[in-house]
Amino acid sequence: MSSRSSTRLLMFLVLAGFLGLVVMQCVRPPLENPPVTADLQAPPEVKRILRNSCYGCHSNETKLPWFDQVAPAYWLVTHDVKEARRHLNFSEIGKLPAAQQKAALYEAVNFVQLGEMPLHSYTLVHPDAKVSPEDLAVLKNYLHPPAPAPAPDDAVKTAADTQYDKWIHASSAALTVQPALNGITYFPDYKNWKVIATTDRFDNNTLRVISGNDVAIRAIAEHHINPWPDGTVFAKIAWAKQVEANGDVRSGAFIQVEFMIKDSQKYAATKGWGYARWRGMDLKPYGKDANFANECVSCHSPVRGNDYVYTFPLAGQLGGSR
Amino acid sequence: MKHLLLAAALFALIGCNTTKPEPASINQQATLAGQLPYNPLAWRVVTSWTNQNSHTMSTLYGNDLAVEYARTNAGHEYPAGAVLALVTWQQRDDPHWFGARIPGAPQTVEFVTISSPGQSPAYERYQGSPLIRTTTSDPTATAQRVEYLLSQRAAVMP
Repeated sequence: MSSRSSTRLLMFLVLAGFLGLVVMQCVRPPLENPPVTADLQAPPEVKRILRNSCYGCHSNETKLPWFDQVAPAYWLVTHDVKEARRHLNFSEIGKLPAAQQKAALYEAVNFVQLGEMPLHSYTLVHPDAKVSPEDLAVLKNYLHPPAPAPAPDDAVKTAADTQYDKWIHASSAALTVQPALNGITYFPDYKNWKVIATTDRFDNNTLRVISGNDVAIRAIAEHHINPWPDGTVFAKIAWAKQVEANGDVRSGAFIQVEFMIKDSQKYAATKGWGYARWRGMDLKPYGKDANFANECVSCHSPVRGNDYVYTFPLAGQLGGSR
Repeated sequence: MKHLLLAAALFALIGCNTTKPEPASINQQATLAGQLPYNPLAWRVVTSWTNQNSHTMSTLYGNDLAVEYARTNAGHEYPAGAVLALVTWQQRDDPHWFGARIPGAPQTVEFVTISSPGQSPAYERYQGSPLIRTTTSDPTATAQRVEYLLSQRAAVMP
């Protein structure tokens, strides 16, 4: 009696599950392939790797295998592809200015190197999409081929000189700086914070100094940097590279200053950090709307295991002098 | 047992063959070791630069007098008591970002101390790991080096 009823129950469940699956197939958000309008221009060996590992989601040439066509997998895949295209679409990348295309490719290569892309859930079902170390080397070489060191550029020097002359002779009266679009207010004291890192960026031709407030410096001294304590603030200041005849590459024209502010409660929506960026000598807040910080979070996501911080800070700022 | 095997197989599939970012740490290699007259890292930045021939990166620090002067004067007449410190590191690739280079091993730390007006500034140079004071017997080269350091203008920071 009891065994008979449990068999019935099982049969009912199987049938219900099957019917449920059938019904699920009726809910099909459309996943179309819009026309390829501005496909990435790159050498064939580079295109081969990107087509093999990235184009499945990051292009308008998505071809779903049968097992991705079945709901609920289909729903997940549809969502992922739309999200992927919004972030980076190789079929339309040619529309972007050259510098933005380059930045997108560097980000892509770094996401591969950091193990963030292709998504693990994707390579589980599409193991061929994994990028081999050899292929990664091909991509890197494409972005940064061996080349002679750049020569001095008069326009770069003039821009830096003009900006410097204006700045050094300006009155010390504080500039009125508008808050960032997410409400974060400017930190004029960043230039007086101690330096925690310098970076030489050949991907975007800038030199950077990263400074940290007292909370950050204390955290470094106490080796308490993963996670960083609430109240930590970093400033990252970027200048254009200015090449001199003797091979020195100086910090030329100021480009921007950006901040990361740690407050795990207040900035929970952006993974515990507030982000803000001000550009140019007039310190114009960056972005179109308050959601600009999603860009920051997305780029910092591969280092979520390091509290979203890329920097390897210098230590020793609190050491005595003499 | 079966579960254990299954778990191990799953782990091998999911866990092992993925690349992971290098864990968070301080930049140990770039730490300044040795007896220096001042700790430049405790000071503020004047500017920073790299050299694309020697693959080094340098940060010019100053004590308060030096930084206040450099940020408000285009000249090179630092006041008495001003000290500039130049720390130069070998560059290395940033393990976290293809496209960036960061400080590796320290190479030299140089100090220029302005005593009184009219007197030539004092110059000290430390090299190696740990940083050890080196002396030079070439006054012309030293004077040129001092001039090079004093003539670096402050990085623009609005």
